[in-house]
Amino acid sequence: MGQHKWAEQAPDEDFFRILTPDGSLVGDAPDLDDATLLGMYRALVLTRAYETHTIRMQRRGELSVTAQSMYEEAVGLGAAAALREGDWCFPSYRQFAAHLYWGVPMDRTLAVLRGGAPETIAEHLPLEKPPGVTFTPYGVILGTNVLNAAGSAMADKLNGRDTVTLAFTGEGSTSEGDFHDALNFAAVFKAPLVVVVHNNQWAISTPAHRQHAAPTFAHKALAHGLPGERVDGNDVLAMYQKTREAVDRARAGGGPTLIEAVTYRVVDHNTSDSAEVYRDQALAEHWKQFDPRPRFEAYLSARGLFSEALREQYEADCLTEVQAAAARALALPRSDPMTMFDSQLQGDPGWHLRLQQRELAAELSGVNPFTSIDPETLA
Amino acid sequence: MNAPTTGTTDLNLVQAVNQALRDELARDPAVRVMGYDIGPIGGVFRATEGLYDAFGGERVIDTPLSENGLIGAAVGMAMRGERPVVEIQFLGFLYNAFGQFVCLMSNVRERSGGQFSVPMTIRTPFGGGIKPLQFHSESTESYLIHTPGVRVVCPSTPAEAKGLLAASIRCDDPVVFLEHSRLYRAFREPVPDAPYVLPLDQARVVREGRDVTVLAWGAMVHTARQAIDEMAVDAELIDLRVLAPLDVKTILDSVRRTGRCVIVHEARRTLGLGAELSALVNEHVFDCLKAPVRRVTAFDVQFPENQTEDFYLPDIRRVRHGIESVLQYKF
Repeated sequence: MGQHKWAEQAPDEDFFRILTPDGSLVGDAPDLDDATLLGMYRALVLTRAYETHTIRMQRRGELSVTAQSMYEEAVGLGAAAALREGDWCFPSYRQFAAHLYWGVPMDRTLAVLRGGAPETIAEHLPLEKPPGVTFTPYGVILGTNVLNAAGSAMADKLNGRDTVTLAFTGEGSTSEGDFHDALNFAAVFKAPLVVVVHNNQWAISTPAHRQHAAPTFAHKALAHGLPGERVDGNDVLAMYQKTREAVDRARAGGGPTLIEAVTYRVVDHNTSDSAEVYRDQALAEHWKQFDPRPRFEAYLSARGLFSEALREQYEADCLTEVQAAAARALALPRSDPMTMFDSQLQGDPGWHLRLQQRELAAELSGVNPFTSIDPETLA
Repeated sequence: MNAPTTGTTDLNLVQAVNQALRDELARDPAVRVMGYDIGPIGGVFRATEGLYDAFGGERVIDTPLSENGLIGAAVGMAMRGERPVVEIQFLGFLYNAFGQFVCLMSNVRERSGGQFSVPMTIRTPFGGGIKPLQFHSESTESYLIHTPGVRVVCPSTPAEAKGLLAASIRCDDPVVFLEHSRLYRAFREPVPDAPYVLPLDQARVVREGRDVTVLAWGAMVHTARQAIDEMAVDAELIDLRVLAPLDVKTILDSVRRTGRCVIVHEARRTLGLGAELSALVNEHVFDCLKAPVRRVTAFDVQFPENQTEDFYLPDIRRVRHGIESVLQYKF
């Protein structure tokens, strides 16, 4: 373990907030009905149950690397709840709450993390009901997805549709050129795009102050000529409110918005990371008091929607749901190696792939591909 | 080719490209031509001349100056059902967009198990001979061909360009369409007036012959043709037309008959497409060969300055030397 740990600067608390960490209101609560609020709360409980389970599965060798959003769920949840049916989302790998709020099936997500081919997953886990919001495969090289999201929003603008595209990225990938291309293109074309920078202050081991020298990540909007908001990312109501304003503005033709969601990565970057190597874990402990869940519960409680019994019921239901999804994902047959040739070029994949498919098929049946295939038979 | 026989007009290659773009814009409202300097100015080579006036700024879209922004935005548009046709001003400028090209444009369909397609086309001038500045003369098609999930097309004549570009735009896969800048105004030929498509899976036999197979694409088809004509050799000249995926059958059938193979390309030699073509011949028709495969290429150096580029690019003499070397070869 290295001796040096990065010095860390706590972020400025100069941001938009509706709920204080103790759950009291410091602004007007958004106009959300009881059913929606409870739906959001259930998605929060489900996300935590899902992520807790994925760590266990990963440690048992049942999943590849997984990332968690624990203590940061309000970012994805509040933003995604501001969308409506028919909208599009280009997520990062830390927005499970957004996925789960819109009903992206956990069994499929887990099957992806088990390394299953998408064709196998689609065949064995058919979608009962497609999610109301279309989620693209999450960006692994973050930043690239924001630019594709700008293109998605441009397509809606050019066709006069009132659909909105939401993109998530991390504070680290605001250093990538793709991020700036995205803001620039979206602003120039007044595209209906909302970009959420999930600022959890760590890009694996690189602290936010090594990413940039601007006062805040919301400042990036200024140079590109679009509104920039800085929001308490641990306040689900604040995330909802500011995203909703941005979504409404985009839908009405007012163009894109950048939202910096300020939070803290309490957990490791992913299951392959050990944060204690490079940072003082006392600060992570400190940030646990800003957990978005108790303050949302306090708000629901004040509205007469919350009780310990409700939480216990949700937790029990969600655990059952997660376990059932995990069982379905684990029951999936291993992907046929031949599926690697699927979803390449449409129609004839060409001579090379036709030959190589036959070579793999020969290997799979224990035959020497180099002596058993006559290339002259490849029409 | 399935071109109609009625009505032709003599066009050069850039005019043929313009006509194909015009036809496809008129045929399909999802087609959007995008790039910088493509609107009122009509492109630095004038490939999009008149299209902005005819179709307006929402179909012929001038964008900010960013290749990466263009490719990445076009990928997102294509995922939403548009059919973007992006102009990259020179192939050497595509490097700035390499991440979006490799990780998204050619990858989204496979990664999503076919849920999302990217039916977009990148048009870009390439190749040497017009003596501009650095990065305006690249023949780095190998960077593109090495990437799975993308088609790479390269026409050698105006009539070929029109039909292959229409086919590329209509294709549901991502396509890179390489237009040799030296050919843009090199010559005219009769081009059918009506829209037509040419196949994206067939090489073109330019000239039949018995003694040696010569493989080329783009401007090198013409250099090779001139060398063959000067030598009065009975060579079979094949214009690959599509560099990925390759029409291997046409190539191997030809070399099986001639027993000799010369590959001519403007790209650098090491890992140029000639390396793959040579390997294919050696792997699959070795027992028909009367001589080792010869690659006639540029050298493994940066594209040189204007005064020395003629010595870098394969010319008629270098092609002749290549053909002579295989014809004279004795085991």
